[in-house]
This record gives sequence, structure tokens and C-alpha cells, in this order.
Amino acid sequence: MKPAVWGETAVNSTEKKRKNKTKKTPRLEDYLSQRDYLGALTLLEFQRNGGVVEDNADLWVGYCAFHLGDHKRAMEEYKSLAARPDCPADVWVYLGCSLFFLGLYKEAEEVAFKGPKSQLQNRLLFHLAHKFSDEKKLMGFHQNLEDVTEDQLSLASIHYMRSHYQEAIEIYKRILLQDRELLALNVYVALCYYKLDYYDVSQEVLAVYLQSIPDSTIALNLKACNHFRLYNGKAAEAELKNLIDISSSSFEFAKELIRHNLVVFRGGDGALQVLPPLIDVIPEARLNLVIYYLRQDDVQEAYNLIKDLEPTTPQEYILKGVVNAALGQEIGSRDHLKIAQQFFQLVGGSASECDTIPGRQCMASCFFLLKQFEDVLIYLNSVKSYFYTDDTFNFNYAQAKASLGNYKEAEEVFLLIHSDKIKNDYVYLSWLARCYIMNQKARLAWELYLKMETSSESFSLLQLIANDCYKMGQFYYAAKAFDVLERLDPNPEYWEGKRGACVGIFQLILAGREPRESLKEVLPMLRITGNPQVEYIIRITKKWAKDNRVAL
Amino acid sequence: MERQKTKLISNQPYDETLDVNDSEEVASLYTPTPRQTVFRNTSRQQLKEMANTNSDEFVEDTKQRKKDQPTSPQGGSENNEEEDDDDDDDDDDDDSDETESDEEEEGEPSSALEGAYDPADYDHLRVTAEIKELFQYITRYTPQTIELDHKLKPFIPDFIPAVGDIDAFLKVPRPDGKSDGLGLLVLDEPCAKQSDPTVLSLWLSENSKQHNITEVKVKSIENPEKNPKAIDNWIESISELHRSKPPATVHYTRHMPDIDTLMQEWPAEFEELLGKVNLPTADINCGLAEYIDIICGILDIPVYKNRIQSLHVLFTLYSEFKNSQHFKALAEGQMSNTPSALHTATAEPDTLTLE
Repeated sequence: MKPAVWGETAVNSTEKKRKNKTKKTPRLEDYLSQRDYLGALTLLEFQRNGGVVEDNADLWVGYCAFHLGDHKRAMEEYKSLAARPDCPADVWVYLGCSLFFLGLYKEAEEVAFKGPKSQLQNRLLFHLAHKFSDEKKLMGFHQNLEDVTEDQLSLASIHYMRSHYQEAIEIYKRILLQDRELLALNVYVALCYYKLDYYDVSQEVLAVYLQSIPDSTIALNLKACNHFRLYNGKAAEAELKNLIDISSSSFEFAKELIRHNLVVFRGGDGALQVLPPLIDVIPEARLNLVIYYLRQDDVQEAYNLIKDLEPTTPQEYILKGVVNAALGQEIGSRDHLKIAQQFFQLVGGSASECDTIPGRQCMASCFFLLKQFEDVLIYLNSVKSYFYTDDTFNFNYAQAKASLGNYKEAEEVFLLIHSDKIKNDYVYLSWLARCYIMNQKARLAWELYLKMETSSESFSLLQLIANDCYKMGQFYYAAKAFDVLERLDPNPEYWEGKRGACVGIFQLILAGREPRESLKEVLPMLRITGNPQVEYIIRITKKWAKDNRVAL
Repeated sequence: MERQKTKLISNQPYDETLDVNDSEEVASLYTPTPRQTVFRNTSRQQLKEMANTNSDEFVEDTKQRKKDQPTSPQGGSENNEEEDDDDDDDDDDDDSDETESDEEEEGEPSSALEGAYDPADYDHLRVTAEIKELFQYITRYTPQTIELDHKLKPFIPDFIPAVGDIDAFLKVPRPDGKSDGLGLLVLDEPCAKQSDPTVLSLWLSENSKQHNITEVKVKSIENPEKNPKAIDNWIESISELHRSKPPATVHYTRHMPDIDTLMQEWPAEFEELLGKVNLPTADINCGLAEYIDIICGILDIPVYKNRIQSLHVLFTLYSEFKNSQHFKALAEGQMSNTPSALHTATAEPDTLTLE
């Protein structure tokens, strides 16, 4: 008979390790070194109930809750601590930190001042000044930063948040050179490179960290994001799945981040369920919801979501520009178009974005709104290799080419478009018709008209076909178009057009550029109009037909 | 002037076409194109056609206006005849010229239209004067330049993954003042494998023999059908916890009677005797080993070479009685004559709520 030995059966493998070491009662330190804060908190709770109390147990609870990411619990713990007369003064700053992460910046500032001056207090106030966009205060607290690692890293994070990634990288690299042991800094550098769009460099630096800590949530999520940028959503999702598989169900940290990114990697699947509650939790959630609405063509919803957002990052400027451009065109508002054009110019002209693909797209969009199509083409040409099959790109690209009279290439590009929505857009139809006519393919333009429902747009298309064909000497379709126009609206001008076009057909026949049979269609078209000139024209053509033995 | 008039009469149909007011009205209904200009063009063009002035201005203008505007001079005689008229209208003409070129700068591309109709291409046709005259109808109509709308389809950016914030070093230090290296040696994030608080507290209480946890928080799992992993984990942890407890049955090396048999009532005489005589207490004058033998003897527990196993049976029996609801009730004086359920389950229930 051998009763079971405690150390050998354990609740899970991590605990097994602990118990082997400690035999009987697990120590707080064991949980902390594993960063198993839930375990640590449970132990602290248990000790509280059992009457055996660790020194500063309440502070430990606050510490564990804070690093677990349960800032609400940390805040509550510190609040009740602060209410006690014997409370250490530093607790105020800890409370401030918890409030900071809960987004309660005003309250955080208030309590931070109640604590004694310390490096941590200064860092907290420094970051609060950034949140309040108070440049003056920011500079003040900046000067108080000392040449210690934590202060320098805090400064680097401000650079990062202000999109000054190179400056941040410089600080991280400098500190890493002094102490290679500070592995976490590699992840910060990787984050900066990610933001700079150097995804492969980011991966390389990240690998250093993952080698020693393969189950890091932040690092694995970043890896997934790099995969998303480098490859596709599927690759990214696979990476994230690994993370989900290894995390325990009680693991709440970054759960929202993971849910958010799953929506992103799945191309917006589940956006309406997942994203709205995250709007004020994850900054990207709002932007992604806007992108989702834009993709659904719900411009108004997209606008409602973004109209009050004060843009700070290039992504936010771009999205505001895009939404304003879409809305401005939809409701015909010059104001929105003006705003769009300004945002596009701002991003496209910025040092950080001018050489990125979105930056080029911005510049092209800006010039498009200004109708400076030569400039549009310069920018679109510079990125066209990324967008061969992109309908949106091709639609804009073809319009720019056509506007500059390059109808041949414009026609080709227009015909690359697959989207039915675009293909039924009058802008598409009219420009394509013009390209056809300019490329001497009037018949195809006429077919576009035939496929249209009768509407004011089909009437406009007729006018386009009539006049453009006339201009290009394609009198057969010009005559047909003028004929229909005249029947719809007995405007003398249409008669003039038809008359000229009919004579034009006659001329083409004489020149041998049009089959003689076409004359048979000309006469009925002329006869419909009750104008004395009709007889004059018919008389001459008939005479010619008779002389040349053309049956009419 | 007489001659001109004669000529003009023959041109009457064209004059009709220049009924500017009328056309203007209609035009404004359909296109935003400045139609007025178009008609001024038409009138000017006529003048140009009729004009025989090959001045520089004219040539330039022709280039500007592209080939699509028929500009080739007509029969020389006609032009000569109308020279006077031309002069009169020249002033107006200049105005319209400006309008035209302005419009062109912002509108149509300035490159010449390739393949546009050029009446000169047909000058070689050998036709009768009558037909030649008929051909003039072609250039009498000037096709409108129709401005097409542009539509910028704004590029919709890719969805943006979130990488989270970078560590700002606004963190609470350890209460004992030791360095934790968080954010430096390792990222300041909890490890992915966190202990399950419920399992751990059950485990802790089991370990410390403090069965004092009055409320064990049992969490519930949302959408259990979607979360089989959580359920499996729970079941596994709880069964491991049970395995860690002393096993309920012990395999004895020698035969031992089972507990139920031992719990049977003693014979009536013996019970009667117990009412008068106490069982021997530990004060009895003998060694521990002998005392064990005596007690085990009284309780019908066999004693072999090793007393440990016998003692285990003894304490198991004691624990069974102690935890038995039936005997608890008996001890509290509530007599019952039907000791039917002598054995009652004693395992403390672990509850798992799955909602």
C-alpha cells in the first residue's frame, strides 16, 4: 500500500513543476516567476481566507491584477488601499497607472499628483500630457526624464505613439547594445519595423524573442500580423490559431485583440458582431468597421463612425479622406470633396507616406479630384504592378488615361474590370462608349446603348454616341443615334445632326468606306423628319443610286 | 452686297440651323456643356470657312481647335463673295476665340484626335456639283463636345490588424522592492497558461487539509458546444485532483473483511453488555501494539504481521461511521429502528456547473 504522493499528481504541468520544487505549499514566488498571475491571485485569496497572510498581501493582489491586465481589479484594490490611513504614498501613483490603462486620463492625472515625486510619477504624467496633446506639459515632463533604462524606454514609447519609429528604434538599439539580456526590447524593435512596413525585418528581430519565449502572446500576435502583411489572412490566422491553442481558457489577456485580428484575417467575417463593442478598446476596431462599411457600400454608416474622429495616424487620415471622397461624390458635396482632397494631399505629401503604396494612392486620388489627370497617371503608374486585377484601381486608371486621350489603353483597362456594379455605372458606360468610338468601334458603343434601360442616362449616352461618332466620321451610328434622339425630342438640332450624318454615310459610300446597302437604311431615317430639305437630299441620293445602279 | 444676298438666300437652310435662341434652350436641358460656346463656334466656323484669310491667327486657331472641327476652306468663289461679312463679324469672333481656348484648357485634352473626320479626306471624290453641295451638310453640323463626368472610386484600404501598444513603462513595481524584469527581460504580459482559479483553490484546500473554503467559485462556460477544450480541461483537472487524493480503496496484501460487514450490528447480548461496560481505553496497561490488537479484535478486524493495514481498516471504519448521516442522526438521539442504509456515500461532492 502506497498512498499517493502529493508532488506527483498535479493539476497541470506548470503546477507540477512548482510542486516538485516546493513539495507541499506552493509559494507566491513560484507563480510570479511563471507570470501565472491568476495562480498568484488564487493563492493570495486562499491565504487571506486561511489566515496566513503574506506581507503586503493587498499590494501583491494589486500587483498581480495589474500585470494580469485586469486593470479594473487593480484599480479597486488600490482605491481601497488608498482609503486607509496607513497607506503607502506610492499607491496613488499605482492607482494612477491603473486608471491610465482604463482610459480614465483625467482621474489618473488627479491621483498621480497625490503621490510623491518619482520617476514613475513623471513617466505617468508624461504620457498623460501626450494623451491630452498638451505639448507644453509634454516638454516639461520630457525634461524630467532621467538617463535610466525605464525612463528612456518610456520616451521611446512616446516616439512610437507619435509615429516616430526611427527615433524609437534608436533608443531601443542603444539600450540593447548595453545589455543584450533585455530580450523584450527585440519585440519593441520588431513592432517599430512592423509599423514602418518592414515586415520581414520585423520577423527577424521577433524571432530572437520567440526563441526563448515561444508562447508569448504579444510576440505571436505580431508574428501573425507580419504574416498577414507578407502573405495573406490564411497564413496569419494559422499563426493566431497556435496562440489560441496554447492559451488556457482562463486566459483573458489580449483575448479582445485576438478576436479583433481574427476578423481582420478573415477579411471582415463577423465584423458586425465583434468590432462594435471593441470600438473604444482597440483603436483599429473603429477603422476596421469603417473599412467594412465602405466595402459594403454603406458610405453613410462609414461616415457616421469616422466623422468625429480627430485623425492622428496616416491610416486615420487616409480613411477620413476615402470616406469624404466617397460621400462627397455620392451626395455631390464640394465640401466633402475638398476635405478629401486635402487629407489625401497631406498623407501623400508626407515624408513617411510619400513612398508607400497608400501614399501614392492618396496623391493619385488628390489629383483625380483636382482633375489633373497627367499627375494622376504619374502616381498610378508608379504602383500599377500591385493592382493589375483591382477593379477600383483600373476604373480610376482607365478614366485618367481616357481623359488624356489615350483611348486605346483606356479601353483595354476598362475591359479588365469585373465588378458588375462598376460596369453598370454610367461613368463606366459613357467612358467606355467614348473609347470605343475613338478607337473606331462605334458598333460596340451602340451595343452598350442597346443593353441599357431607357432612362435619362441612356438618353445622355445617345447624345454622346451621336456627337462622338459624328466627330470621328462614323456616320452610320451617328445617324442612328440622332434618329432616336430626334424621335424622343423633336429638337431641330438633332435633325441637323441626323441630316449631316446621313449625308456623311452617303459620302462614305461614295468613298467606298461604307457598304452601299447602308443607303437603304438612310432613306427611311430621313423620311421620318418632315423637313423640306429631306426631299432635296433624297432626290440627289436617289439620282446617284439610279446612275450607279444601286437598288433602294 | 447684292451678290451676297443672293448667295445667302441659297444658304437659307443653314441660316435656319443657326437659330441660336431656340437651340440654346433645348441644350441646357441635357448637358452641362457650355452650349453657347458650341454655337458660337459654329457661327465662327462658318465665318472661318468662308474667310479666305490665311493669317497666322487662323492657322494657330485651327491647331488649337483640333482636326475634329472641320476647317478646310470651301470653294474659293464663295469665300470671296463673303469677305465683307467676315470683316464685320471679326470682333465678335475674337471674343468667342478666348472663350473657346479657356474651355479647352480645363476640358478636353489638347492632343489632336486621331482618326477624326476630316472633310479634306473626301475632296478627291469626283462627284457632281450637286452632290458636292450636298456634302456641305456634313460640316454644317458641328458635333458637340460632351463633357463626361469622372468618378473617383476611392481605394478602400486593407483591414488593419492590431499589434497592441508598446510598453510605456507605467507599471506597478513589486511590493517587496525586488526587480521583476518585466518589460525588460520578458514582455510584461501574463503567460498564456494561467492556472484555473477554481481548480487551484480546490487543490490548495485539499493540499493544506483546510476544508474551510466555504465558497468555491465555480465558473460557467458560455457556449459549451463551441468550447469543448474548456470542458475537457476542466474534466481533466478535476480528475487529476481526485487522483491526487488518497485512494478510496486500498489493496490489502492479506484478506480483510469489507467495511459494510464490519458495520453490521453486534449481537444483542454484546450490545447489552456495552451498556454496562466501557470498551477498553488507551489507558489500559499494555503497549500500543497490544492495544491495537485488542481493539481490532473487538471490531473483528484481523491482525496479521503488519498492523498498518489493520489500522487502515480500523480508521476507514471509523471514518465511515463518522460521516454516515444515519449514525449522525442516531448520535443526535433520533432513534431509528430501521438501520437500513448503514452505508452512505461520503465523498464530498465536486460540482461543476455547465450552462
